[in-house]
Amino acid sequence: MKILVAIKRVPDAETTIKVNPEGTGIVNAGVKWVVNPFCEIAIEEALKIKETKGDVEVVLVTVGRSESQEQLRTGLAMGADRAILVTAENLDTTGVSRVLAKIVEKESPDVVFLGKQAIDDDSNEVGQMLAQRLGWAQACYISEFNMADDAKSAQVVREIDGGMRTDKVMLPAIITADLRLNEPRYASLPGIMKARKKPLEEIDGASLGVDLEPKIIIKSMAPPPARAAGRLVESVDELINALKNEAKVL
Amino acid sequence: MSDAAINQYKADLRSMEFTLYEHLKVQEVFTEDYFSHLSREECDQIIEQTARFADEYIGPLNGPADRAGCTIVDGQVITPEGFKAAWSKLYELGVPNFAVPLEHGGFQGPSSVGSVLHELLSGANCSFNMYPSLTLGAMDLVATFCKGKVRETFLEPMMDGRFGGTMCLSESQAGSDVGSATTKAVKIEDNRYKISGTKCWISAGDHDLGENIVHLVLARVEGAPAGTKGISLFVVPKYRVNDDGSVGESNDVQTVSIEHKLGIKASSTAVLAFGENDNCEGFLVGGEENSGMKQMFQMMNSARIIVGIQGLAAASSAYLNALAYARDRKQGSSVKAFKDPNAPRVAIIEHSDVRRMLMEMKARVEGMRSLVVKLSKHQDLSLALAEKDPDTANYHKGQVDLLTPIVKAYCSDQGFRVCELAVQVYGGAGYVQDNPVEQYLRDSKIFSIYEGTNHIQALDLVVRKLRGRKGQDLVDFTSNMTEFIQTNANDPGIGAEVRALGAAAQGLQEAGASIMEYMMSGKLDQLTLCATPFLEAMSEITVGHLLLEAALIAEECRTQNDDQSQEDFDFYAGRVMSAKFFANFILPTVHAKVAAIKSADRSALDIPDRGFSTAW
Ligand SMILES: Cc1cc2nc3c(=O)[nH]c(=O)nc-3n(C[C@H](O)[C@H](O)[C@H](O)COP(=O)(O)OP(=O)(O)OC[C@H]3O[C@@H](n4cnc5c(N)ncnc54)[C@H](O)[C@@H]3O)c2cc1C
Repeated sequence: MKILVAIKRVPDAETTIKVNPEGTGIVNAGVKWVVNPFCEIAIEEALKIKETKGDVEVVLVTVGRSESQEQLRTGLAMGADRAILVTAENLDTTGVSRVLAKIVEKESPDVVFLGKQAIDDDSNEVGQMLAQRLGWAQACYISEFNMADDAKSAQVVREIDGGMRTDKVMLPAIITADLRLNEPRYASLPGIMKARKKPLEEIDGASLGVDLEPKIIIKSMAPPPARAAGRLVESVDELINALKNEAKVL
Repeated sequence: MSDAAINQYKADLRSMEFTLYEHLKVQEVFTEDYFSHLSREECDQIIEQTARFADEYIGPLNGPADRAGCTIVDGQVITPEGFKAAWSKLYELGVPNFAVPLEHGGFQGPSSVGSVLHELLSGANCSFNMYPSLTLGAMDLVATFCKGKVRETFLEPMMDGRFGGTMCLSESQAGSDVGSATTKAVKIEDNRYKISGTKCWISAGDHDLGENIVHLVLARVEGAPAGTKGISLFVVPKYRVNDDGSVGESNDVQTVSIEHKLGIKASSTAVLAFGENDNCEGFLVGGEENSGMKQMFQMMNSARIIVGIQGLAAASSAYLNALAYARDRKQGSSVKAFKDPNAPRVAIIEHSDVRRMLMEMKARVEGMRSLVVKLSKHQDLSLALAEKDPDTANYHKGQVDLLTPIVKAYCSDQGFRVCELAVQVYGGAGYVQDNPVEQYLRDSKIFSIYEGTNHIQALDLVVRKLRGRKGQDLVDFTSNMTEFIQTNANDPGIGAEVRALGAAAQGLQEAGASIMEYMMSGKLDQLTLCATPFLEAMSEITVGHLLLEAALIAEECRTQNDDQSQEDFDFYAGRVMSAKFFANFILPTVHAKVAAIKSADRSALDIPDRGFSTAW
């Protein structure tokens, strides 16, 4: 069996993000980059299947700048078998899903895992778009995944508004991981050492023959307004007055 | 006070990165065959994973484990909640074996990177980290000196974390004077001996983290010569090990009690009774009697460096916590508005004296870290070049020897003092358990005591290490420093500070001459009186050199790199400023120590004992 996991390089949640002076994007210098946390969960799920089912190849793929190698190496160190880096810049979700569809065609995996969204843009689109392009079933926001013994289908628990929903999904399918699916493992020292020798294939995005032109144009980007400092009020009256007339919540 | 597990450990990974790669250029070691199976990329990943483990697993346990302490139930020590899970996770990650040679089954990573891993683990939870550190030290001895069955039986389980390890030197009458140990060994046959005696103060002496504990015990074979020359080293497990590797019956090692301590309360410190029932078996290490001290020194040297790192680690987190508090706590108004009672309240970081304290802490932490990494890089190169270029390897080995007592004593003393400053920055809030710094202060006091008190380190420096390789080590050390001073004395940015270093180094030479004079003329009491101030002065100069060297690099990065973030710019500016502060506020204290050493004052020696106090 083969499992493809698509991952993304994103700024660490604790890094301070600054918008560049032109307002077209963020400043990359000084940013700490990590594997998108939801993608880490996706990798973990694939590795768990590998551990229980045995004969499973876990292949990682990412679309991005060549620095994204670092994140692929992290996934390899966690235990994935090999990785594919498709180099391309400034794609939007339509372009990424087109590239991934090509890779799926090439690799023909039995199931594709993705994070439900990436914590940089929070788009929550790539998995769904990919399913559409491939004409595959999709199960998004899953917090439980149980593959049937014959590997032809899987039972999944999905997080939906106000509750959980259990579905059966026919494979191959697109699965996107939610927070509670599992707790991703650390890359161990032996894992990190082994990752060095695992294959990492680089493919030029332009060579795939798909439309990489972004359909979403970022007109401007601005940081949220800074929160004003709080102040101490002298009396209840002053508080009520402020709530009524300044905050306008009463 | 809440016992909710929150992580209060703070690490500055950017600062570590600077010291490793920008200042001391540790990446150079990867070009040597010995380390060529690794690159910076893997090391960075390992640092990242270790930092994550520190933050997620052991950092949150630090406060609660301090309050819970270790307990003893039916002669078995129980460690605080969460330690077992953290221990399994740590060995699953494999971090303890990072620097262990490939031939022993480790990863053969450079110690310079390993020092950062130690800092992260110890800073997050010093007590917890005692257990794997002692296991590593004991394992290293087994790996180096044991052969055949003993090695087969114990090495792998100690690397996997199935078995813990200890070092048993101290006895109630044998502390600093290890040679007066009386624990007895009587030969049964081959390398098997019967062991009997009581060891005190044994860190990790008993615990419930693994299945067994492997004690490395110093004992005296009947008829052995007196003193350190008659000491042998034995592997003594808590439980005997069956032929199939499983843990068998008790080996007659009993935990008599554990100490109630000022700090590192979650690290058990045990009194162990060996052979109370005449049924305790040990295996002679290395197959030769009376070589115990030499063998134990292998472990003690690395243990001393680790103790230095413990001081650095506590200090670094204490500093970063104090810094965060100082940015947040509002008190008083700016001194510039002293006439205006209604002036806005400011964060205490705006007060000059708080800045002075923060700056001293910053400079000392950075200085200690560069000292530790410097020593570790020498160690890496001495290993990597041993075959290819023995002369250069010997140079590096000599610098390791010379710097080891300095790292142990300076980082442990200053570690404690930085923690004390951190408490001062917090004010009353630093004295209570809601904030982590009171624990750092308590935990860090032990560092100047165990692994040879800091005075023992000072004696090691002046009596032995200054004369290492017939004085060549000191010559090498001094010429590196002189060259730096000559090259940079007129630097437009920090020339004045480099000259201040030069003046202090000149003073140290004079103090060194006095020390030699006391030694040659047999004034041994005067010599030992001056050993500690000498070590302190030499340490400050070594650190001053490293800080100024780093400042030059930081200044270059700051002015020559256009494509840098504001953070980087501020970071480099901060490195230059802390080096200048060190040179102007701290280096001058060297002159006071030099004056004391040169004075040949005998009052501390000649005062009648009753003159200290006639009341008691
Ligand atoms: C928490 C803790 C953990 C420990 N862990 C271990 C362990 O795992 N294994 C182990 O074997 N031991 C351990 N020890 C013991 C430790 O190494 C000793 O406490 C230390 O070596 C000092 O010995 P002592 O306590 O007997 O003090 P002493 O030797 O009595 O020293 C008291 C003072 O006298 C000074 N002094 C002693 N001799 C001289 C001299 N010749 N010249 C000048 N000054 C001198 C010392 O510097 C010190 O200031 C531990 C101790 C503690 C408190």
